[in-house]
Amino acid sequence: MKRLTLVVLILQLICSVASAQEIGSYLGGEKFMYAETKQINQFFRRFNSEENLDGKRIYEGDPNYHKKNIRSNYIRMLFDNQNKEITENIKSDFISEVTDPNIPSFLDYYGGRWFAEVDTKFTYLGQSRTVVLFLELEKENLGIKWVINNVYFYPFTKLFYTDSTAITKFLHPMSHELDFMNLIKVFKEPNTVEYYFDEEFKPDFRTLFLYEIKKGDLIFETVEKVSFHFFQLNNWYFHLQEFNREGNNRGWLIANISKIPEDQKDMLLKYIYYEQ
Amino acid sequence: MNKSTIFLSLILIFTAVITVVAQPEISPERKLAIDSLALEKVKDLGKYISIIGNKDTPFSEANRVIDRALELFSDGSQMGVSSLNNKDIQYFGIREYFQRLMALNYDRVKIEWFNIEYISDLVRQPDGRYVGVITIYQRFTGESDDGMKYVDTTKKDITVYVERKQTQIQGRVIGFWDVLLGDIRVTETKPG
Repeated sequence: MKRLTLVVLILQLICSVASAQEIGSYLGGEKFMYAETKQINQFFRRFNSEENLDGKRIYEGDPNYHKKNIRSNYIRMLFDNQNKEITENIKSDFISEVTDPNIPSFLDYYGGRWFAEVDTKFTYLGQSRTVVLFLELEKENLGIKWVINNVYFYPFTKLFYTDSTAITKFLHPMSHELDFMNLIKVFKEPNTVEYYFDEEFKPDFRTLFLYEIKKGDLIFETVEKVSFHFFQLNNWYFHLQEFNREGNNRGWLIANISKIPEDQKDMLLKYIYYEQ
Repeated sequence: MNKSTIFLSLILIFTAVITVVAQPEISPERKLAIDSLALEKVKDLGKYISIIGNKDTPFSEANRVIDRALELFSDGSQMGVSSLNNKDIQYFGIREYFQRLMALNYDRVKIEWFNIEYISDLVRQPDGRYVGVITIYQRFTGESDDGMKYVDTTKKDITVYVERKQTQIQGRVIGFWDVLLGDIRVTETKPG
């Protein structure tokens, strides 16, 4: 009887192992999965030649670490090949500059001058609206974190400086003699109050955004789209986007690139921030 | 305050400074070991998901496995899911996600894992813990007896938290690296 019990137990064990093997299974790696730039982290590593073809991290001392010809090949793969505006000349120019053996340029995760643009969906006064958040990395203690450093919300832009008769909006220079009694006219027209502020005044959308959230008028729904702007490389700017499509040219890729002098980058930055 | 007290105080301050400075850095060798540990947890999660999604798994067993799977995660972790048709991220608590998986109306569910994973660097957060992301791919097939079949391939970006902890074994304090999973971003991906 004991033997029979033992045999039954062994059979049950074999069956349970066989059953466990049927639950889920492993496939090979598809070619596109290797080719895809799967994370921003991988974009940095490929750009700098800091990983091998299997995606494993390599460190200083490895013969392929930061190696020029490997970098050139990697970087060529990091462009959106379907964007015909990124010409072969631009690619070659960019690659030869950043891999120049005398002064090579690398991307530095901690180096600043790159940030995220995140399209989010909020409910605003009952309607679904897009709010664009700009985030950058900020060091704190021995670590680092993403912080919101700018906000764009279209309805806020309609609140300020939209009056074409602005020239008449001022408090005349003798108002003080009348105890500023004319302030009543300023606040009678809420749409133009900002014209009575000093010329340095710039509406801070972050504060307005926080105020609306705290009031409960803006309620977060979801993230719609994420992309990254890189100003880190001297005289170059590029925009990184994720492409979820067929083929090997997919994942996080350079969607746009411009050669731009350092002293003009502020203008471009303002454009990206919707300030121009 | 005599001279020896001042000296002692200085030593104490110096020791305290050393303690702060000597926050554990992660060497490449240590990183490899942590990566293996994190991958083990991800593979455990894979096994649990397969069991939970399997229609042959009894209800009580599936619930037990959900509890085990939740032990892999830090509190408050969420799944953020988007599809090719709807790019907006839908949010689910991890337990809710598992319960939805369990309740799927397919007669047969097959979950296959592609043999590729990508492991990011570990970056230190302001609270001293390290964070990284492991990317894996999964194919889901659901079939009904009436012939309906649904197949998708998803990319899963899994947050991994790494923390130096201490434990006492027979009176000796032993330090170790603990790994917990966090939020998971699930993106339906176009096949190659």
